[in-house]
Amino acid sequence: MIRLALIAALAAAPAIAQDFSDGSEAREWGLFGEKKALFTAVVRDPLCVLTGDCADDCGGGARQVVLIRQEDNAMVFPLKNAQSAFNGAVADLAPFCGQKIEVDGLLIDDPEIGATNVYLVQRLRPEGGDWQRANTWTDDWAAKNPGAEGSGPWFRRDPRILNEIEQEGYLGLGPDVDQAFFKDWF
Amino acid sequence: MRALIPLLFLAAPVHAADGERVQITGEVIDTWCYFSGVMGGPDAVVGSAHHTCALWCSAGGIPVGLLAPDGTVYMVLKMDGDDTTAGGDTSLHIASHTIEADGMLYRRDGLNYLVVEEITADRDIVNATHEDFGVIPGFAIPNSEAPE
Repeated sequence: MIRLALIAALAAAPAIAQDFSDGSEAREWGLFGEKKALFTAVVRDPLCVLTGDCADDCGGGARQVVLIRQEDNAMVFPLKNAQSAFNGAVADLAPFCGQKIEVDGLLIDDPEIGATNVYLVQRLRPEGGDWQRANTWTDDWAAKNPGAEGSGPWFRRDPRILNEIEQEGYLGLGPDVDQAFFKDWF
Repeated sequence: MRALIPLLFLAAPVHAADGERVQITGEVIDTWCYFSGVMGGPDAVVGSAHHTCALWCSAGGIPVGLLAPDGTVYMVLKMDGDDTTAGGDTSLHIASHTIEADGMLYRRDGLNYLVVEEITADRDIVNATHEDFGVIPGFAIPNSEAPE
């Protein structure tokens, strides 16, 4: 009984010092407090986990998703996918809602600014499947925005972003503030 | 032996957390740039200097947070009752704004998760960081906008 209780106590201890870098092939990004991390987790809807407000398919890509790590039951929040174009990880992870997958990427651990258990996922592997890059966001965007005109990356052509900038300016303070700023900036 | 029994409960898997009703004032931030340092220090990736990048990240589905004056970051799972926080319109429209929020706070594994049920006040952008930092990143404003 005592042995069981000690094992249980260890399982309940914070996972702060754990190292998940073994076997990781994640590419370094030079971020604050980054640590390579390869682990097994279940993809979950955090609103469902925390509040009981559960959506089908973890919200089908509209809600954020989290990773419940198998080894310590920690809830890890994936903020970013593998692309370097301002893209989150939901498009890559939501299709695996409720499933156990392996993920490889970078944990950010910088408690001074509140960064704990946040993650950049670079690749993932479903059970019995092959590794795949976590880079589907821009294809997903292109499929949803077939009429986005112009050249350049998605964030220069996204209709919603262009509308916000047209209304409030690049600084968000209105077109007049923008114009005054441009004279110094350029 | 009796003293060890509570440890067994501590070790049980956590399937739900107790929420706490809160009212929080803070800036709607892009959590990736804030936490990762990819664009520079935390002071540079908030407010007007970072507004365009905050739009990109919000539209790109990166989680938004609420940055309180004491430096606490709250990860937003609903914004004004809207659960489409992976790129949805509600969060996009208030990028970089300072808001007053009423909702439920949940804590798990070192992060604060906030379900904003209602935005009780929207103060617009009040953090004029462009006066100190210009724009972050520098390419946020395309050269085509340069005055002739």
